[in-house]
Amino acid sequence: MSMAQQPAQTQSGHIIPADKVTRLPLAYPKPVAWLVCFGCALCLLLIFCISAGVLFWRGIGVWGNNIPVNWGLAISNYIWFLGIGHAGTLISAMLLLLEAHWRNSLNRFAEAMTLVAVICAGLYPILHLGRPWLFYWMAPYPNTMTIWPQFRSPLTWDFFAVLTYLTVSLLFWYIGIVPDLATTRDRAKTRGWQVFYGLLALGWRGSARHWTRWRQSYRLTAAIAVPLVVSVHSEISLLLAAGPMPGWTSTVFPPYFVLGAAFSGFAVVSMIAVVLRHVLGLEMLVTERHLDLLGKFVLATGLMTAYGYCAEVFDAFYSGDKQDLGTLMDRLTGRYAWSYWGAVVANFIPLQLLWLRWARRNPLCLFLVSAAVTLGMWFERYMLLVTTLYRDYLVSSWDNYHPSLWDWSLFAGMLGVFFVPFLLFVRFLPVISVFEIKEARFEESEAQHA
Amino acid sequence: MTMDHAPKPDRPAPNLESLRGRLKGKSGREFWRSLDELSRTTEFTRFLDAEFPALAAQQTKLARRTLLKAMGASLAMAGLTGCDGKEDETALPYVNTPESIVPGKPKWYATAVTLNGYAQPVLGKTYVGRPVKLEGNPDHPASLGACDAFTQAALLGLYDPDRSQSPRHLDRPASWNAFDDVLQARAAMLDGTQGEGFHLLTGTVTSPSLTHQIDMLIQRWPKADWHVFEPISDDRRLEAARLVFGRPLEQQLGLDQAEIVVSLDDDFLGAGPRQTMQAGLWAKRRRGLSRGEDGVRLFVAEPTPTTTGAMAEERLIAAHERIAALLLGVAAALNIATESKADLNDRERTWVELVGRLLKGQAGRALVTIGSHHAPQLQALTLLINNRLGSFGKTLRFTEPIRVLPPDGEASFAKLVADMASGRVSTLLMIGVNPVYAGFADLDFAAHLERVELRIHAGLHDDETAQLSHWHLPITHELESWSDARAIDGTATIIQPLVRPFYTVRSQHEILAGLLGTPRDGREIVQETWRQNWRDDFDARWTDALYRGYVPGTAAAFIEPAIIGDAVAVPEEGKIQDFAASGVSVILRPDPTIWDGRFSSNAWLQELPKPLTKITWGNVILISPQLAAKRQLRNGDEIRLEAAGRSLTGAVWILPGQEARTITVNFGYGRSRCPLSAGLGCNAFALRDSGDPWRVPGAQLSGTGRQQDVATTQLHQGMDGFDFVRLINVSALGTDKAAARPASTPNEQHHTATFYPRHKWDDPSWGMTIDLDLCIGCNACVVACAAENNIPMVGKDLVAMGREMHWLRVDHYYEGSPDEPASYFQPVPCMHCEQAPCEMGCPVNAAVHSFDGLNLQVYNRCIGTRTCSSYCPYKVRRFNWFDYTGDDPEAMKAMRNPDVTVRQRGVMEKCTYCVQRISEARIAAEIDGRKLRDGDVVTACQQACPSKAIVFGNVMDPDTEVSRQKADDRNYSLLEEANTWPRTTYLARIETNPVGHEGEG
Repeated sequence: MSMAQQPAQTQSGHIIPADKVTRLPLAYPKPVAWLVCFGCALCLLLIFCISAGVLFWRGIGVWGNNIPVNWGLAISNYIWFLGIGHAGTLISAMLLLLEAHWRNSLNRFAEAMTLVAVICAGLYPILHLGRPWLFYWMAPYPNTMTIWPQFRSPLTWDFFAVLTYLTVSLLFWYIGIVPDLATTRDRAKTRGWQVFYGLLALGWRGSARHWTRWRQSYRLTAAIAVPLVVSVHSEISLLLAAGPMPGWTSTVFPPYFVLGAAFSGFAVVSMIAVVLRHVLGLEMLVTERHLDLLGKFVLATGLMTAYGYCAEVFDAFYSGDKQDLGTLMDRLTGRYAWSYWGAVVANFIPLQLLWLRWARRNPLCLFLVSAAVTLGMWFERYMLLVTTLYRDYLVSSWDNYHPSLWDWSLFAGMLGVFFVPFLLFVRFLPVISVFEIKEARFEESEAQHA
Repeated sequence: MTMDHAPKPDRPAPNLESLRGRLKGKSGREFWRSLDELSRTTEFTRFLDAEFPALAAQQTKLARRTLLKAMGASLAMAGLTGCDGKEDETALPYVNTPESIVPGKPKWYATAVTLNGYAQPVLGKTYVGRPVKLEGNPDHPASLGACDAFTQAALLGLYDPDRSQSPRHLDRPASWNAFDDVLQARAAMLDGTQGEGFHLLTGTVTSPSLTHQIDMLIQRWPKADWHVFEPISDDRRLEAARLVFGRPLEQQLGLDQAEIVVSLDDDFLGAGPRQTMQAGLWAKRRRGLSRGEDGVRLFVAEPTPTTTGAMAEERLIAAHERIAALLLGVAAALNIATESKADLNDRERTWVELVGRLLKGQAGRALVTIGSHHAPQLQALTLLINNRLGSFGKTLRFTEPIRVLPPDGEASFAKLVADMASGRVSTLLMIGVNPVYAGFADLDFAAHLERVELRIHAGLHDDETAQLSHWHLPITHELESWSDARAIDGTATIIQPLVRPFYTVRSQHEILAGLLGTPRDGREIVQETWRQNWRDDFDARWTDALYRGYVPGTAAAFIEPAIIGDAVAVPEEGKIQDFAASGVSVILRPDPTIWDGRFSSNAWLQELPKPLTKITWGNVILISPQLAAKRQLRNGDEIRLEAAGRSLTGAVWILPGQEARTITVNFGYGRSRCPLSAGLGCNAFALRDSGDPWRVPGAQLSGTGRQQDVATTQLHQGMDGFDFVRLINVSALGTDKAAARPASTPNEQHHTATFYPRHKWDDPSWGMTIDLDLCIGCNACVVACAAENNIPMVGKDLVAMGREMHWLRVDHYYEGSPDEPASYFQPVPCMHCEQAPCEMGCPVNAAVHSFDGLNLQVYNRCIGTRTCSSYCPYKVRRFNWFDYTGDDPEAMKAMRNPDVTVRQRGVMEKCTYCVQRISEARIAAEIDGRKLRDGDVVTACQQACPSKAIVFGNVMDPDTEVSRQKADDRNYSLLEEANTWPRTTYLARIETNPVGHEGEG
């Protein structure tokens, strides 16, 4: 661990200790800016509490849903949040197993982001229930009614998928952070912080046995997490694809959803990376090379998602089914065409910039493209859900959907649910996996010496 | 009714001092006993009534403050307020009289409600004295067990929380005793003047008892006068008969005998007192078509789309003003000499020639009808045409008038207003009418009412007329009173109460008896009337009539009148004019769900989508697509209609099939004193002129630039090239099956391939067919479903959001050009799919399939994910977005069907095929140790349907009616490409061959 004390040489010639990160929670560089952000996030959280309170008190009717649009903003946001939550696991677990060391600068906050995104996503289906207090009936628990969940339903599997994903993501993130928590504990100067981080570090002493056990469990969890990346969003896609509705019932949905999820997830990770490296002065750790790699990922998954769009259109024409074609034409030209074209434009037009190396390495550019993708993917989720429902088989039941004030306020509030824990993480926990960076550098220098 | 003591004329005024005096010197236990005794005395009761009328009036809904006030007199109140919500033990239940009430077992009483005075026979189902459902009386000769939407909704009329609950004097709560005093004084005064200045105003009267009472009244006070005010009346039919036969006669359409019916703007299948009977007769004949017999063919010419027009083989769009020309044309085609000659355009001439040719060929089996709102002369000419066709006695029969005609006939109301204007009316008693709202604009009833010295209004609601009256008296609903009435065919029904009156109200008979000083018990009044007819045989016949729900043999006898006037002069207004130059033509029609406004307070009818527009909670100004294009108007634009200095402002609605320059406005909205209807729609009565009650000539329209919200349940009515409603050509029925399906393949189940074997179903297993060739879109099924299944109403705003709760909806589609579309109805209940997507989607097993083929929704298992509805291709599921039932008034809760769960907030619900009725029938069959028979289970919608378009039964038994229907060539599944295997299937509508004029659009 001699490397730990060695300063890292940056391109600009500044010298920054690699473990500055572990000092961040104890000596945060911009406390005022953080407090302002946190205050805003708390306000949003308050909006969430009010919106959820009104929802529980009065019923789903406060939203804009109706028959036929039974599902609205809540479910499209659910899919969106869950999609965002896919990048963390993908970056961490998959790249860990592939031994791509560059992930070390990104994985910690990507995982944290995943965790809060999955929490947000998981809250939505419960909030959207007509009788949310009975949500646990989806779980196969022993009950006096001796009724199991209905295993043919995609929702049952959604429940399992989200719960599993949440559990595994939490475990993976927490196992990963334990050694850094121990470092922070060791650097803490006051008793209070020492106890706080000491408890979180679970008595980590850095012994060889600890490291062996840790490595086993971390890799094992990663191995469990990787298939989840594919399975969770495939499963979510069945929520739509399993129904006999035109525009939904398509076999292209599972891969289409997974790729879309990775796409939006990488975009959000890119945004967070750009912001954090700027705010916390971590340019040395999250380098332009990292941004470049993220940009490539966004571009690659984006092109695959675009392929999904094409496949969907092809599907409709190839089937020649009147209802499917009707839904397709309605998506292109109908009342909610803004969501279709919004998705196409925001997802794929700015994305083309990322073919250029400078654009990928320019933080602002990458941020803006990623923001467009995040918005575009939101449009897509909305479009997929609403356009199929508002005009389905029988023209007699067609009706329009307008999200109500409470729909939007819950969405705003959910951003609070997202940002409050994430900001706490940024403030109080090591945002980057320090020991892994150090380890990687050590290995690199060893390799050079050899 | 314990409070109804006959008043003593010389009774001293209540005196508190004397009452106090009785308590003087008493103390302790004795004091309290005296107080208790005192509180039961009549004197004290009257004192309390007189001093605190507001208390007596508001006993039923006590606010906290009122309660505090009332506590001061709590002892007395305890003695006063008996619970009157008991069943009337003198009424006789239908068929079986249980020795005592068996909780959970309903009792059925045969009785009737009225529409426009005509009896609509019903069987009322009551649980422990709570009426919960009305059904048609299957034994009744006129209705044959069916009923219309109004009749189904009468139950809610009984429980209506906005019903007037106590007398009001000068718009403040008052007591019956106080009114009795006034009435006695007035009666004494009238005795002195032979009734001079006393006028009675009623709606249409068919009731023998009411007639008897009116006779007695006129006998006692010869100078008194009786008037009839009926806003939607077909009095002109009587007038037409007078022109031809010399006396007023009722026409009875023999639609079951007709092979060809030509309707000139006569909506004989539309809403109204005749709908049930006429739709039944029409369907009876129409059904022959599907059996390959010569079925009825229907030709309609009309200015505004109606349900009759929707069922027509050939619908000619003709302005109100062109009907006369068309009639003259038909007359000419049949070689009937008329003074005027028809001046027809090419289109009209083709239609007239076609119709004339067909009519001639079917003499004796043909019928020509004309709308009752057309001029009597035109209607008289129609009678002559029918005479020429040999229709009399076959497709058109005559009886003496069923209604009792007032002395001044059709001008009765105008005469009253004239009397009022000249100050000859000193006392006006108005029973069951609302002329201040529904009166003719030119007569200005409200202004003349001010001149009447004593104005008494008796009605169900504290309405516009009540507001301008000195006294408002709440009357009993028909379901809680003794009365009698005649059905449209003349058959009399003795109306017996299903329940004791909810409030301190009196029936119209009791109020009149109070005036006449005769015995004032509703039952005795009615018995008295019938005792005169039946004499010795009274008891047996009375009991028999109550059991049956009608008096056998009282149907009006058909007569064959001699024609005395065979030269009819077509009136000037009906003569051919250059209509093109006359601008727009406004026609006024009754509302298909609110009628003339008398049902404004009925939420079931307010939320019932109008058959063609599917608009709820309001009326609109219906215009044609051409006029909309010309004036650049869109649905919901607010416009102002002005004519003769009168105007109304309402929302525009574009109605495909509307005559280009015709504007239609329905009556019944724009109420100023009706809480439920407040702010809804526009008042068409404001434009109505007594000279031409159904038309407003010379109207101008102008946009106001504003928009109004209109709540419709079906935004899109074009079929868009889909085959939701399928047609089958008449020539192919029962012959070559390939040719039978020109457009599509009704019967062949071309479901997509599946790996799964078809499930083996138990016997019985349930299914339904709906015959689209018979459905007239009348909505009776929809209200019957709401009543049977405790379906909540959600209000205008939520309907506009797409959250209506009806389990059964009647979709309406147009096909073809918007100017001249074909029009189809399609009732859509749950399809009870054998391969139900909803069942697959539900994560908690709330949507499950039963052993007998029902797709069930388990409410207490539902957590409200709404996946079932998202996956439902038919979108028949309904969600409880809010708690719709928790804050219902207590009185309304008593109305709920105890066999059907009241749903909680957050659960999904849908049509169950009336599973409670299936269970009831199965239990009964098991007790009897037999198998279920066809017809044991009748769903609520099926029971109500006037045209018997809905058939329900066991699909596993090939001998049931439903199985026979499903084996028919016409049978098809809605959206069979969704591969859901629906148990509800449709019978394709029959398309008849166009005759001889293929060149027509």
